[in-house]
Amino acid sequence: MALLRASALEWWVEARRIVGPVDLVIEPGECLGVIGPNGAGKTSLLRLMAGLERPSAGTVELDGRELARWPAKARARRIAYVPQLRPVAVPLTVRELLLSARYPYLSARQVAPAASDFEAVGQAAAQVGITALLERPLRELSGGERQTAYIAAALAQGGDLLVFDEPTTHLDAGNRRRVASLLLELRRQASHTLVVATHDLRFAGRLCDRLLALRDGRVVECAAPAEVLQPAILERLFGAPFKLWREGGETLPVLDLERSVRP
Amino acid sequence: MRTVRLRFGLLTAFWLAALIAAPLLGKHVIGLAAVLGPGSAEHVIFWHIRLPRVLLALAAGGALAASGLAFQTLFRNPLAEPYTLGVASGAALGAVAAIELGAGGATLLGLSSVGVSSFAGAALVSLLILGLAARRRFTTATLLLAGIAMSLTCSALILFLQYRADFTQSFRMVRWMMGGLAVVGYREVLWLAPWVVAGLAVLLSLRWDLNLLLTGEEVAASRGVDLSRVRWLVLLAASGMVGALVAVVGPIGFVGLIVPHILRGWLGHDHLLLLPACVLGGGAFLALCDLVGRTVIAPAELPVGVVTALLGGPFFLWLLLTRR
Repeated sequence: MALLRASALEWWVEARRIVGPVDLVIEPGECLGVIGPNGAGKTSLLRLMAGLERPSAGTVELDGRELARWPAKARARRIAYVPQLRPVAVPLTVRELLLSARYPYLSARQVAPAASDFEAVGQAAAQVGITALLERPLRELSGGERQTAYIAAALAQGGDLLVFDEPTTHLDAGNRRRVASLLLELRRQASHTLVVATHDLRFAGRLCDRLLALRDGRVVECAAPAEVLQPAILERLFGAPFKLWREGGETLPVLDLERSVRP
Repeated sequence: MRTVRLRFGLLTAFWLAALIAAPLLGKHVIGLAAVLGPGSAEHVIFWHIRLPRVLLALAAGGALAASGLAFQTLFRNPLAEPYTLGVASGAALGAVAAIELGAGGATLLGLSSVGVSSFAGAALVSLLILGLAARRRFTTATLLLAGIAMSLTCSALILFLQYRADFTQSFRMVRWMMGGLAVVGYREVLWLAPWVVAGLAVLLSLRWDLNLLLTGEEVAASRGVDLSRVRWLVLLAASGMVGALVAVVGPIGFVGLIVPHILRGWLGHDHLLLLPACVLGGGAFLALCDLVGRTVIAPAELPVGVVTALLGGPFFLWLLLTRR
């Protein structure tokens, strides 16, 4: 059975349609990449799939049940969302951030998190290699370390669907690689279903089973990376010229800086 | 963890010291013997004048600091305070209007007619804000702006009423806005207690949600926090407490802004600890300020709002300068 199913999904802000109509099925264990130009509606689509926005029309279903009908905590036990890295002043330590991810398991009467919560936090930190950073305040970390901490928090949240909004944006090459290998490792373990919005086409091609190309809120193409990462489709998507770059056994679409796009 | 426990213990001791010592101290120091032996004038001063006044200070200061903490977390804004959303301006408008209309000495539920009118003003502003907060499209940031707009509107109306008022009325209005804890008997304390207890209970039940809000609204929502519910309940609890206390003690400033900052610096960010700490710290601080206010220029009294700012301002500046 499909893990997540969007049917005739639309999201409007006042008289403007930001997303849709979108029909989409995500199978358990799959990794779906979402690519498209700025303002295409990637973040909005991700937030709809994570249950953080209510559809204006159509539905998103998790396990066959409409996401809007899930209690917030029950939904959070299944879906974790990692927003785009922003310079937000969060006055917490890494451990406190990871513990906050255990919120959906806490009852109102509980005075402190349970042993199982501390265990989940420890495991998540170990999995992404930030055990040494646990007592550090978030604001003292580099961008890459902070993003890693947020990924660890998403793992500590214990859901089976992880939604990442541009996990490598704003990071330098070294940190981009660090975060990318983390996601590739998650993919290799096949423990989670992943949805990843990204501008890094090469990374998207390596990571994902399918790529969804979004423009003006609508699906331009949704297929295997090799089919989507074609100069013709990318030109239509981004309005910029692309060419294929071959190196070793790998074929990559790259921006063509010499040629201007065909009218 | 051990230092945090020690600091919380010190805070509790400070609160207990305020509760026991503040009613004994003043222009005349009262001995313990007089407190326990009925019949003397000192006995009456202790039980009917000073103790209710100290209890009122402990309740009001605690409620102000706890509401300030909740607002600072909710709005993710260090400048947020219990009066940010215009509850105090609404209360002041009510009080000023009552004075202008020549309110007499009638009382209702333990409140003077000025108190009743100011509580009505606070309630009106709170209901407007709660109505706005219930709308899905209203973000927390917009709500903050709406509160400021509400404050400014009320302030303009207050100025208009003051302009029309005669000298005596005008003096009463200004004096009301300085805040004060001069009460006789337990009527005001009994009026305030249920509001404070209910408000604190609601805030304490939201301690996990408030902790989560520190990570930002987006992340908090993705962890399963029901943002609109939390926002509405925090506003309800805080405006209930603040509206009720402003009606009896006036808009005492500074406690709700500064005490939460100081305690966060000392105790960290867990609201399970911070909320009770604010009740203790805010209450004891206000009781101390009131003690200073009624002794330094005795037999005259300094309005407590003047003392909170005069003591708290420099102290907070010193903290900002010495903290790493």
